[in-house]
Amino acid sequence: MNRLTQWSAAVVAGLGLAASLAGCGGTDEGAKTIHVTRNIGGREGFRRHFEAWKARFEKANPGWTMELIDLGNAEGEQYYKSRIATGDLPEVVMTWQLTNFLADGGHLVPLPDEFYEKVGLPLPPPYKGKRYTSQSGMQIQGIVVNKRMWADAGVTEPPTTWDDFVAALKEVKARGYAPLVYGGREWSAGQPLFYAIATNLYDLQPDPSKPSWTKRMDTGQVHFASDPLARRILERMIELVDNFVVKGALSDGYNEEQRDFYGGKGATWMMGCWLGGDIEPNKVDFEMEYWPIPSMTDRPPKFVLTSGMQNGWAITTSAKGEKLAKAQAVLDAFYEPQVYQLFLNGESQFREARKIPIEGPKSPWPPAQRLYDNMAANLAKYGTTVGFHIGLEDMPPPAFTMTLARVMQEILSGNRDVDRLLQMMDDDWASARKGM
Amino acid sequence: MTSVSQAGDQSGHRRANRTAALREVFASWVLCGPAVVLYVVFIVLPAILGFAYSLTDWTGWTRSPTYVGLANFRELLGDTRFLAAVKFTLFETLLLVLFFTFGAMALAVLLDRLRRLKGLIRALFFYPYILSILVSALLFQYLANYREGAVNTILRSIGLAAAAQDWMGDPGLVPYFIFALVAWSGLGFFSTLYLAALQTVPSELYEAAAIDGAGPLSVFARIQFPMLIPALTTNSVLALITGVNLFSQIVVTTQGGPGYRTFTVGYYIYWLGVLNNRQGYASAVSFVTFAALVGVAAVQVALLRWKAVQL
Repeated sequence: MNRLTQWSAAVVAGLGLAASLAGCGGTDEGAKTIHVTRNIGGREGFRRHFEAWKARFEKANPGWTMELIDLGNAEGEQYYKSRIATGDLPEVVMTWQLTNFLADGGHLVPLPDEFYEKVGLPLPPPYKGKRYTSQSGMQIQGIVVNKRMWADAGVTEPPTTWDDFVAALKEVKARGYAPLVYGGREWSAGQPLFYAIATNLYDLQPDPSKPSWTKRMDTGQVHFASDPLARRILERMIELVDNFVVKGALSDGYNEEQRDFYGGKGATWMMGCWLGGDIEPNKVDFEMEYWPIPSMTDRPPKFVLTSGMQNGWAITTSAKGEKLAKAQAVLDAFYEPQVYQLFLNGESQFREARKIPIEGPKSPWPPAQRLYDNMAANLAKYGTTVGFHIGLEDMPPPAFTMTLARVMQEILSGNRDVDRLLQMMDDDWASARKGM
Repeated sequence: MTSVSQAGDQSGHRRANRTAALREVFASWVLCGPAVVLYVVFIVLPAILGFAYSLTDWTGWTRSPTYVGLANFRELLGDTRFLAAVKFTLFETLLLVLFFTFGAMALAVLLDRLRRLKGLIRALFFYPYILSILVSALLFQYLANYREGAVNTILRSIGLAAAAQDWMGDPGLVPYFIFALVAWSGLGFFSTLYLAALQTVPSELYEAAAIDGAGPLSVFARIQFPMLIPALTTNSVLALITGVNLFSQIVVTTQGGPGYRTFTVGYYIYWLGVLNNRQGYASAVSFVTFAALVGVAAVQVALLRWKAVQL
């Protein structure tokens, strides 16, 4: 009876396992489809670009299809982890800040230097000696202003120092305008703190001969809690919140910030250049300018360049045999001029692939085009810093980005204990580093 | 001859018994097997794997975690953020246990006394429970929005603009916002358990109480409450589990914020494992939490059973 019990248990267990695991794992090796991830969500510009990209690939590769896996507003982390667990990562994935995790897990296929040279892309800093991702456009982060409101306050040129910036915001406020659109609910809450750290705590031009702030932090030479400049930055953030952020900001997120700024209800928005891609769809009809980030340390103002690292699309180890060649063809199709132009339009980015005859984003909507022109002019005039995005091996842990938002939330909710806030940054950095 | 016949009968009985037993075993495996397999595959195995991962530094991105022994558990001993999450979770749990144990009981007794529209009113109280947690949480998030939320809009419309608050952003208010959300969602369920228990009270007891001239309070204290003790035990344990497992509502509404103010243990585990890629450490936190919860629930059940016997 024992034997029968064992056998029947084994049979039932086997059947149950087979039933529960049916359909899990494995990719459809035979299908002539390359799956590509993208965070389109409701962004019309992104959709237009993807459709053109897909059409270009399918025209150049008859019989093959390029299938979109839309990650919505997410950045793929959970989706990728699930697909890794089930062994069916899409053949081409957008990596964002996840490149090193995917590479460390052995899920990415390195790209040869010729891939970059072919279209004139500057070689991104390697990760453990290899490069994995396509590079798309030049993404900068700065401050967009409502030109009329700032002109009413007598300011027509970007403030150079943080003190000038604060004084100008006070003038804007005195004219009856909301000086700043700012929401504290989500990631965008961290933008001012990110700007301040990237342009003040880090060298404007990283010196390869000396360790960056990140490296010194990782080796215990510096800490936020004991750094006078970090303390000053937080004090200035408290000043910003106390003077220019309205009650209830913690209820608002990126969408509310965008709605307020585009609705003409606020004079200033600290946001990345991608905001330009939404001007035409939202029919924003006032004049805007894009200004660099003023310095707290008597440095020249700069935009922060956040596209220098490897963070584009990468081929995964799911692409084998013929699929590997076709996954490569997907990346190549991205740089077809019409496709590339649509990408730059959707993201409001500038050209990185120098051999492609495209300069930057274009729009038939005059306020959008004038903002693009102003961005280009100010980019040339003020230049960029990579801030803390020096390389995948030389940057804060990716999760630290959300720490910046949480610390700003703490300030918004009344925490004025600078020591405690700095300690939170140290603690989060240390914890997140252990997850790498 | 008789003994041979008896021996044959005994052998036949044994065979018949064995066949019946085999059939029973087979039937039990056929009927229970799938459930057992699913339970093992989706509950037991992950729990065992979870403990195994707690001894590693697994990030979730690789298939080969490194064994780190008890390092994660040692780190947990000095983890102030975990302690803060435990504190916040216990605070919410205390509110929920009190409310679902006694508030739901009061509501059930009142609902039980209804003479008109009984079914409709009970259904209205139960209705929030059938909404998904996601829907309830989003609803509360909209209600609580500072600028456009219904609560502040109403306050402003009746001239109480000064009373408008950032319900989810004010650190003094947000714990009660979370409590209100969970309480609203679960009240119907917990009061229904009490209502079911109230239906088992023999009508003779009420009749005898009426003859003795007992008032409503006396009826409650001497008849209903003692009869509700088993349901009270169940409700308090379920409320404890609801409080300790507080997670979905946090993810949808505050995401642990503002800052780190509404980190529950469940959210902290998610934050560590998913957002910070520390699956190994998150597993250690989960394991310790699980062990603590089992201990607390065991003590709670033992105490309540002892109390029930006393009553």
